[in-house]
Amino acid sequence: MASIGDAELGVSTFCAASHQSEKCGANGLPLTPNSIRILGRFPVLKTLSHPRLCKYVDLVREKHERLIVVTEFYKTNLAAALRTSKYSDTSCLTTLAFEILSGLAYLNSRGFIHRNLSPQNILFDTKGFVKLANYGMYYMTDSGADVSFPIGLLKYMSPEVLAQGRVRVTSIDREYATGWKETRQLSHAPSSCKTDVWSLGIMLLEAFLGSPLWPNLTLQQIIHKILAFAKSKVDPIVLILSDHHGEEKFALLPNEIQSLISTCLTLSPKQRPMPIDLLSSSVFNALKSKEIPYSNGFSMFSTNLRCQDLEIPEYVEGTEEDHAKEEDLLSERSIHEVYYLWRLAGGDLVGALTKAGLVRTRPPITKIANFTLDDGEFFGEGRDRSTLLDCTVVILSQDQLRQRLKHVEPAAFYPLLEEEKNTALHLPISPSSGDLTDTSKLPLVIKERDVEYQFHRAILYERLLKAYPYKRHHIWKEARTDIPPFVRAEIWAALLEVEGDIQGTYDAIDKETPTATDRQIEVDIPRCHQYCELLSSPEGHEKFKRVLKAWVVSHPEYVYWQGLDSLCAPFLYLNFNNEALAYACFKAFIPKYLHKLFLKDNSKVIQEYLAVFSHLIAFHDAPLSNHLNTIGFIPDLYAIPWFLTMFAHAFPLHKLFHLWDTLLLGNSSFPLCIGVAILYQLRDQLLSFGFNECILLFSDMPEIDIERCVQDSIRIFCLTPKSATYRQHAKPSKREQKDSSSKPDVSYYSKDYNHQPLTDLSMHPVPLEDLRAQKCPFISAEDLIQLGELMGSSLTKSPTKKSASGKPLIIILDIRPTEDYLRGCVPGSINIPFDTAFNSDGDFLPSPAVTKLNVHKTQVKVVVGSRDRSAIKFAESLLRLGYNRACVLYKGVDVLRPTGILTVPTPDL
Amino acid sequence: MANQGGAQRPNGPQSKICQFKLVLLGESAVGKSSLVLRFVKGQFHEYQESTIGAAFLTQTVCLDDTTVKFEIWDTAGQERYHSLAPMYYRGAQAAIVVYDITNQDTFGRAKTWVRELQRQASPNIVIALAGNKADLANKRMVEYEEAQAYAEENSLLFMETSAKTAMNVNDIFLAIAKKLPKNEQAGQQQSRQRGVDLSQENQPSGGCCK
Ligand SMILES: Nc1nc2c(ncn2[C@@H]2O[C@H](COP(=O)(O)OP(=O)(O)OP(=O)(O)O)[C@@H](O)[C@H]2O)c(=O)[nH]1
Ligand SMILES: [Mg+2]
Repeated sequence: MASIGDAELGVSTFCAASHQSEKCGANGLPLTPNSIRILGRFPVLKTLSHPRLCKYVDLVREKHERLIVVTEFYKTNLAAALRTSKYSDTSCLTTLAFEILSGLAYLNSRGFIHRNLSPQNILFDTKGFVKLANYGMYYMTDSGADVSFPIGLLKYMSPEVLAQGRVRVTSIDREYATGWKETRQLSHAPSSCKTDVWSLGIMLLEAFLGSPLWPNLTLQQIIHKILAFAKSKVDPIVLILSDHHGEEKFALLPNEIQSLISTCLTLSPKQRPMPIDLLSSSVFNALKSKEIPYSNGFSMFSTNLRCQDLEIPEYVEGTEEDHAKEEDLLSERSIHEVYYLWRLAGGDLVGALTKAGLVRTRPPITKIANFTLDDGEFFGEGRDRSTLLDCTVVILSQDQLRQRLKHVEPAAFYPLLEEEKNTALHLPISPSSGDLTDTSKLPLVIKERDVEYQFHRAILYERLLKAYPYKRHHIWKEARTDIPPFVRAEIWAALLEVEGDIQGTYDAIDKETPTATDRQIEVDIPRCHQYCELLSSPEGHEKFKRVLKAWVVSHPEYVYWQGLDSLCAPFLYLNFNNEALAYACFKAFIPKYLHKLFLKDNSKVIQEYLAVFSHLIAFHDAPLSNHLNTIGFIPDLYAIPWFLTMFAHAFPLHKLFHLWDTLLLGNSSFPLCIGVAILYQLRDQLLSFGFNECILLFSDMPEIDIERCVQDSIRIFCLTPKSATYRQHAKPSKREQKDSSSKPDVSYYSKDYNHQPLTDLSMHPVPLEDLRAQKCPFISAEDLIQLGELMGSSLTKSPTKKSASGKPLIIILDIRPTEDYLRGCVPGSINIPFDTAFNSDGDFLPSPAVTKLNVHKTQVKVVVGSRDRSAIKFAESLLRLGYNRACVLYKGVDVLRPTGILTVPTPDL
Repeated sequence: MANQGGAQRPNGPQSKICQFKLVLLGESAVGKSSLVLRFVKGQFHEYQESTIGAAFLTQTVCLDDTTVKFEIWDTAGQERYHSLAPMYYRGAQAAIVVYDITNQDTFGRAKTWVRELQRQASPNIVIALAGNKADLANKRMVEYEEAQAYAEENSLLFMETSAKTAMNVNDIFLAIAKKLPKNEQAGQQQSRQRGVDLSQENQPSGGCCK
């Protein structure tokens, strides 16, 4: 990303044409507002990057179809320079032409045209280089169809543009059969890149003549003039020169330049050259040889060689004084980042515009119509001046931002990444500054608004991302603290281990050929997260459809289930400008968390998932589980949309981002813990509700405090023995990890149970019926040995377990008859024989063992029995009596015999 | 057009209360959720979210001396969710099968649903057929007469509705309420048991697309 340098942030505003009120499309639903259409087209403009263009930074939608554009901006422009005699110098004139053409040629190469060229839109940066501005207007307004003013200044419009008149939408069709796609017919075909060449010709003439053309003519007369060119047999250039008595002066120009200008002004667009043709003219040879090849710098996930066009910053040998002068480090950040920080530092776009008088509010009473038809059409309202175009650009002051960052150490702009060793023990330490650790502990909503904190985080992450995948490990570690919104898209991709030629992969997929799922996709998209402006735009719908189709086509083993759309939405939103990356993330996410859930017949997988979820509820909250079971409020009724969309159907995007920031660090069982955390947050209500109220509560997802939910899920996860969430349909282990060194330091927190080697002591598939029938989870002998430290911690097989801190404490209940117990038992286990444990009411009969159990009530209770069902029944009794954290040793005590752990108990119990 | 819907609230304290379980079935995007939302909250969301699994809502209507409480199960329309449907319609006393009058395929699918209900649901279930999106009459693909004839043949209640304009929305629920038996044991006890019957027997096993 090129740095902002000494560019300003400029803001301007315009209004989209509003639809007649109450007008509906063919499907009976309101038409998409034009401002939303524009908003959907805008993001791609941000990807245009060339030294001769002003960058687009942001587009914000306000009330009443108002749009606010933020761009790179410079104060000087060609309109001012024209009035000097500067361009009578031929080399200045050639340079001007060359720089404008370079910008245009780049635009054309990316499939855009300017169509808005005028001296006001040709800016000069502080070094005097051309920066084209406003080149996005024509594109983002659909050739001008979405606004009520013409795009471009009349005087610079080519005859063919003027002859066509105003662009308008002639018909809109929103066909049901093809979903809600809106197809629009414009009154004529869009302009070509050659109209820009004409405008260039006019400007070059003005520059060379040193005065504006036709200064005394009215607009009508100018239109008349230009249209008259078409009828005349004489070349336009000759007519114009004679109008301005410039023939003699023109004749003095070198031939090459004469012909450059006159070919620009070729009447017929067919014969008029394109910018790229003109660039090859020999006039520019000298300039071309001096040109420095431009590359767009580093970009993630690209297959280009990273160091091919290594940009080595200019080394300026300065005097002592120069060094003493404070360096402006902020100006070396990208314009997008500076703008992001500017907003965090309290920047207010509307405020800036209002102050400049560009946004005026009219009292509503002045907007009342004089006459209204009963279909809602009204008349007699004066034209609202605010719908007209005002090209004024207001400069956004960066003072406040610079003030806020004033005391940031210069070194903080270049954080060191290799300091991990001393900080390895504590997660939330960022190498940049110490006091960040304090901020990092604040609630997310505060952190995300703290400009200084975000500044440090963004810089650190950008550095890490440049070293991805090498620095993946470090990214994981930082992500456990938080993920700044500015880099979320890339961080998520890194956490999902996206790598390789993502663009090539995506391009190779056929996203166009109709398939049987198209209808479902097309009716789902216009219902998916549509409060989000980007996703509700026609551009958004198109992208959405392509990404979903790409996934369906590339996964023949899976099918499209309603809900996949919700799952895709966050990735599309974050990577709106990079469909390939959106697809790559989406594709990587599904096997990680939703393995097999999109099989055509997924019922076994879902059933198992929900059964394990029930166990988990019982494990962590016995009273709640008992209540929900009594009223018949089972997960099948409410949790399918949660898990099938990883909560993307349950929460709005802004909440989902925070949820997934953590989800992505967890393993495939983590979502189950999120589910429990949601119930936990609503616990009091659920406990007091009957069936109807419970299910009503979830048909509209109630307000959930996501940050609390995330914290709770982590806690729940850490208190759950891994094997308790074992699912046979979870993703099988990838035994041969590519290379463990580049793998993140996965702790207990993120490693999947299924990724450990299988032994006799591990979990094995349990028949679905059994799983559904039992209420408490199993735990594997492996987990028992590990959690009970039965072999000493060094001997345990799990490579991931290092610190004991996050480990749940356990108490082992041996429920076999005492004589069996005395013959050999797990060390430390207490014996409560099942047959004599309970009285006729189902309560515990008092005994020293029961007392001991009650002392350790909060610990995980592992019920150890023989192979029969009594251990399960015992655990269920614990559950019924309101004991949390009861689980059953899978396969009973026999499984431990070969390990040699079993001992004869010492008689003190 | 907003907020005019909703149904009457119960008023008389002496009135008898009946509860009925009602299920909505029909192809995806025909407007099942929109009909329920209109009936229950008097609202219409143009960007109504698609339904995954099923959603549950309740609404009460008054009929002379009886208060009828509907427990409404709004199901997912996509064919794949078919395997879940029996869980919702089993034990239901009423069903609204919805199609979209601008789309002939959805009418075909509605007929399939009716057949399935006749075969598998409780024998005296009251079935209503709703031709939704009646506001789009100019895009009509299913003729009123055609649907009406079909409804008569199968003794279904039939109305063309519009969740958008609220046309016939309360009416179709009221018509169902009228037709439901309101003797003591019909409404009250039977639906007191529980919302959904999850017994495994005669639930189609395995495949989701049959
Ligand atoms: N014009 C018009 N549009 C409607 C009407 N009812 C629903 N819609 C629209 O049709 C679309 C689908 O409606 P839903 O209520 O989501 O359909 P559904 O049957 O619940 O769909 P699934 O949940 O996928 O099974 C939405 O965009 C609604 O706004 C209606 O009466 N008239
Ligand atoms: Mg629905």
